Amino acid sequence: MKSHISIRNVNAFYSDHQALKGITVEIPEKQITAIIGPSGCGKSTLLKCFNRLIDLTDGARVSGKIIVDDMDVLNHSIDITDVRRRMGLLPQKPNPLPMSIYDNVAYGPRIHGIKDKKKLDQMVEKYLKIAGLWDEVKDRLKSPASKLSIGQQQRLCLARGLAVEPEIILCDEPTSALDPVSSQHIEQQLLKLKSDYTIVIVTHNIHQAMRLADYVIHLYLGEIVEHGAANEVFENPKEERTRAYIDGTFLSDMKVDEEIDLKGNVCPYNFVYAKQALHALPKGKILRMIVDDPTAVTEVPRGMEADGHEILSVKQRNKKEWEIIIKKQ
Amino acid sequence: MDRLLEEKFFKLLMLLSLAIVVGSLFMVVTVIVWKGAPVMTISMLTQTSKGGYYLGGTEGGILNAIVGSLYLGFGSMFLALMISLPAALALQKDYIGRTKAAYYIRLSLDILWGIPSIVYGAFGFIVMLYFGVKASLLGGIIVLTLLQMPIMIRAMDEVIRLVPQELKEASYTLGATKLETTAAVVVRQALPGILTAVLLGFGRGIGDAASILLTVNYTDNLPGSLLDSAASLPLAVFFLLSMPSPEVQQRAYASALVLLIIVLALSITSRYLSRRFMKNIIR
Repeated sequence: MKSHISIRNVNAFYSDHQALKGITVEIPEKQITAIIGPSGCGKSTLLKCFNRLIDLTDGARVSGKIIVDDMDVLNHSIDITDVRRRMGLLPQKPNPLPMSIYDNVAYGPRIHGIKDKKKLDQMVEKYLKIAGLWDEVKDRLKSPASKLSIGQQQRLCLARGLAVEPEIILCDEPTSALDPVSSQHIEQQLLKLKSDYTIVIVTHNIHQAMRLADYVIHLYLGEIVEHGAANEVFENPKEERTRAYIDGTFLSDMKVDEEIDLKGNVCPYNFVYAKQALHALPKGKILRMIVDDPTAVTEVPRGMEADGHEILSVKQRNKKEWEIIIKKQ
Repeated sequence: MDRLLEEKFFKLLMLLSLAIVVGSLFMVVTVIVWKGAPVMTISMLTQTSKGGYYLGGTEGGILNAIVGSLYLGFGSMFLALMISLPAALALQKDYIGRTKAAYYIRLSLDILWGIPSIVYGAFGFIVMLYFGVKASLLGGIIVLTLLQMPIMIRAMDEVIRLVPQELKEASYTLGATKLETTAAVVVRQALPGILTAVLLGFGRGIGDAASILLTVNYTDNLPGSLLDSAASLPLAVFFLLSMPSPEVQQRAYASALVLLIIVLALSITSRYLSRRFMKNIIR
């Protein structure tokens, strides 16, 4: 595995809040690296450090080193426009520029000195094709980009980013504002692109990470919990927090059919109520119960398991409450 | 109170306010057209004044005032635009917008906006006296520029601040510099607002009488150079209307009508232009 971006002891602060704590990790070349973690864990901040977009945020400071092709991105004496040219960014919300579809794609090449109309035409066509948008817009290249649907706008942003011929594509939750079909479209393009580009995708959608990623970095509260090849991290996480995050994501995605609140009940009543609730459910349905009695947290799942039901998870929600998720068998 | 009644009451109140605004505007225009239109002849627009209006003379036209006003209005508008646009762009977050200085600059511009134009005139007059320059078009253009700058800068600043940060970021991530981003994205996105700001300044400039009273003076002749004195429409209205003869007073209304038409024409043109530019704007 050849490393493309080398992150060494990166710390980031917003005023006095530390958003990233001593991040050190290598990002492999020509693979898709997913940065996963809950909201506010510093995923986007890390991504913004790569192209130093974080400079635009009030009160943000970054220390450490991010080496891309023997060049330290965080060193303020380098030409940042050159660094940014090497990294395309696909934002969370599509942000087409206030110009025509054609000019949006041609914007990057133009500022980097390509003036020849013929060459620009070729580039626009090429990158719109790569982004999978050409067929939909080839007859209206001169119409405003804002007239496109949001999914098309996002593919336009991809084409625009590719048109400056970067080596790295950074994606900041690129499908979170899109409908499922458009999301799938973007994911397919990314999978096609990984043979030519190093792709870093920030996502809080664990399924998306599983579909796309070759390498995974799990961030939590500004620290790296775990990183490694995707299949290892997803199938056999070394860290309990990673396992909890992956499992938790699945459970929160799971459809709960029935929920009972057993707060304020002690044993054996909560046990009885749980049994009744399960009894009323059809087979295969899922029940979530909330308890606040510490005995129940161990005893209820044990008793239900003895009855042949499947315990899917037991999780502490806050200081006093636990949630138990059971599948009726 | 009954909520439905409340709703109706306040809607009525709003419509009433609107009616007052539109109504008074309509009345102003009606009076000017009513009184000015009868004396609006071709010679009024194509001839300079033959003088003697203070004796009741109605010879000639107001070409001197029209030409003077166009010079003053467009001259000061372009000069003010040349200075205001870069100044407003510099107030962006990307340049000095985050600093304390920007806050004080905005504050002082707001104060300057409120200063009466006669004060600008008096200031210009003193400066011109100091340098020994006599009342001239150039002096008037400069004073009108000073008058318009705070208006233009603050109005532009407000629309430029509304340009979404993501748009600038999109440009930066493609490797654009601040200047490229400002020129290609910010100005483009804010263009309709910038046009409005320019129009606001122009309206204030061409319609102002007090500041040019001392700095440009008034003459029956067409200005031959920037250093000549010139006539202007607002001052024509002022001087002609203060005469006792009704025939002369009518010519004041005609001058006001011409002034109105100039402002209206520019306003309509800019509306048309901004609609064409707006096509690509991101909303």
